[in-house]
Amino acid sequence: MSYAVEAKELTKVYRSEGDRVVAVDRLTMTVNKGTVFGLLGPNGAGKTTFISMLVGLALPTSGSASVLGHDIVRDSIAIRKRVGLLPEGFGFYDHLTARQNLRYIATLNDIPRGEIDDRVAKVLEQVELKDVADRKVGGFSRGMKQRLAVAQALIKDPELLIFDEPTAGLDPEGARAFRETVLALNKEGKTVILSTHLLFEVGPLCDSVAVINRGRLVVQGRVRELIERMMAEQGYRIVAKGVGDLVAFSERLRGIEGVREVKLQDGKITVEASSDVRVDISRLASSCGVELVVLDVLEPSLEDLFMNYYRREGISYG
Amino acid sequence: MADMFTIASKEFSDIVRGKRFIILVVAFGLIVAAAIATVYINVTEVLRGFGVAMPRGFLGIAAYTLVTTMSYLAPIVGLALGCDAISGEREKGTLKVVLAQPVFRDAIINGKFLAALLATSLAITVATAVGIGGSVLALGVTPTLEDAARLLIFILFSVLLAMTYYGMAVLLSTVSKRTTQSVILGVFIWAVFTFVVPIVASTVAAALVPIQFRPRLVNATIPGQNATRPSQRELEVYTEALRKRASIQEAINSVTPNYHLTKIAQYVLNIYVGMAAGFGIGGARQGQASVTSKSITESLVQAWPNILVLSLATVLAFIASYIFFTRQEVR
Repeated sequence: MSYAVEAKELTKVYRSEGDRVVAVDRLTMTVNKGTVFGLLGPNGAGKTTFISMLVGLALPTSGSASVLGHDIVRDSIAIRKRVGLLPEGFGFYDHLTARQNLRYIATLNDIPRGEIDDRVAKVLEQVELKDVADRKVGGFSRGMKQRLAVAQALIKDPELLIFDEPTAGLDPEGARAFRETVLALNKEGKTVILSTHLLFEVGPLCDSVAVINRGRLVVQGRVRELIERMMAEQGYRIVAKGVGDLVAFSERLRGIEGVREVKLQDGKITVEASSDVRVDISRLASSCGVELVVLDVLEPSLEDLFMNYYRREGISYG
Repeated sequence: MADMFTIASKEFSDIVRGKRFIILVVAFGLIVAAAIATVYINVTEVLRGFGVAMPRGFLGIAAYTLVTTMSYLAPIVGLALGCDAISGEREKGTLKVVLAQPVFRDAIINGKFLAALLATSLAITVATAVGIGGSVLALGVTPTLEDAARLLIFILFSVLLAMTYYGMAVLLSTVSKRTTQSVILGVFIWAVFTFVVPIVASTVAAALVPIQFRPRLVNATIPGQNATRPSQRELEVYTEALRKRASIQEAINSVTPNYHLTKIAQYVLNIYVGMAAGFGIGGARQGQASVTSKSITESLVQAWPNILVLSLATVLAFIASYIFFTRQEVR
């Protein structure tokens, strides 16, 4: 599979108030085409700097990266023709209408004059702002501005969309609408990168994620694989419910190899083990005369997954 | 190129539709008109007291005031338009949006300069036309065709002065984190060039060339005043000291762009010729020899060093903003 983004040892060092700040530290990662990719990390992790380098807003100090096959230093203009960016905090000319803002961006993208009006109308409809197209953006709510920012990123019909903290400050309805938009765009075949610290809002959308902290890559992979890896590292939680002498059964469960802890509470047995011991539990239940009605592995949620990596990195998530 | 014109077109439209521009033009026009009218009325009164007729040349009276006013106000136009050119876009978040499009950074800075050039030309032309036009109507003094041509040339160089300050303002706006910071720095530079440097120049000149003798000028036409006229030698020494002071002052003042506009205006608008024609005296600094009417071309040739310096200052300010902006990172 070809990559939408491929970064190798990408590093960005800058000076801030006289201090040397390593914003991105030898970051090596890839984003597959056609996927929804989550770039996760706390505030100040280096996500925005990384994105800025991808679209030519900042130059890397060392390392290299390509976006849609174009080198980020040499072919920045080619990248910007094919990538739509929704920057953190958005950015509009408040004294202009939504339509005028979009027309300006369309003109900067060399969209033929004859096509601009149709293109603007299409994206306004796509983000459900058609009715307020001729209102000045200064009077828009945050949710409307966010939708207009999506329209701004879409006006050039890009192959790759990069959304930087897209749901920050949105109400739950706005966040839901945004998630639907992302899924629809992904269905159209577009690659979407979601950079956020609000991982629970966009995490479920992502095929793959990368967690970065202090400019370094903590982990990257498909969400499914990461969950399995975490379970392998941290052990399995198995829940069993059944009919019979559950107290005696619980005591005997401790004898199964790999079982670390067994808890019995309200008729539910929770087993923590280093491997998937469901077959052993099932056999033991038969020998103990317990009839099991539930025997499931409790998979960690995305929240568990990310909090696990955050805890390891000492990231306080707020 | 298309990007540059797209940006210039949007910027120009933003500027001329903005309240800031309208306020600038109206205030500028009113100040020019009021200044010319005030000077004209005062001079008329003084001349009437001496029984001297009003100077026939329009520019003799109007131009001097116009130049003074312009040297104060043209920089303000440039600063007002440029102080938030980059920092304002950065604060609104639009800089990132525009730079994320397939646009070269030089197109952005060129587009902004082009728009500012057009807007500044419009502001200064309209304000001058309103000011001069108002004076013409109110005072009944009509400029000749040559006066009009000289005025147009003067407007051109006033725009150049405004663009010098615009360049500085864009530079400040590029390097400043906030617009307020860039505005404060801009006002500081304007105050230094407009007030501080001339005061320093005159103080330094006075300190370096002390004048021992000051001839008592008396009006011998007033009965009862017995004029003790200074000797020729005393007058020569005094004149020489004044000339030395003036040259020191000019050398120090020449670090400011305002000075060069004033010099260009002196030549192009034939200020001293007009004044001399009206009052029957020679220019204080230029001496009797320069109080000879020169053609427009001759005036421009005379002013070329100042034209060169002012043009260079504008180009340097532009290049500096350009370099800083194209190298600046937007995170």
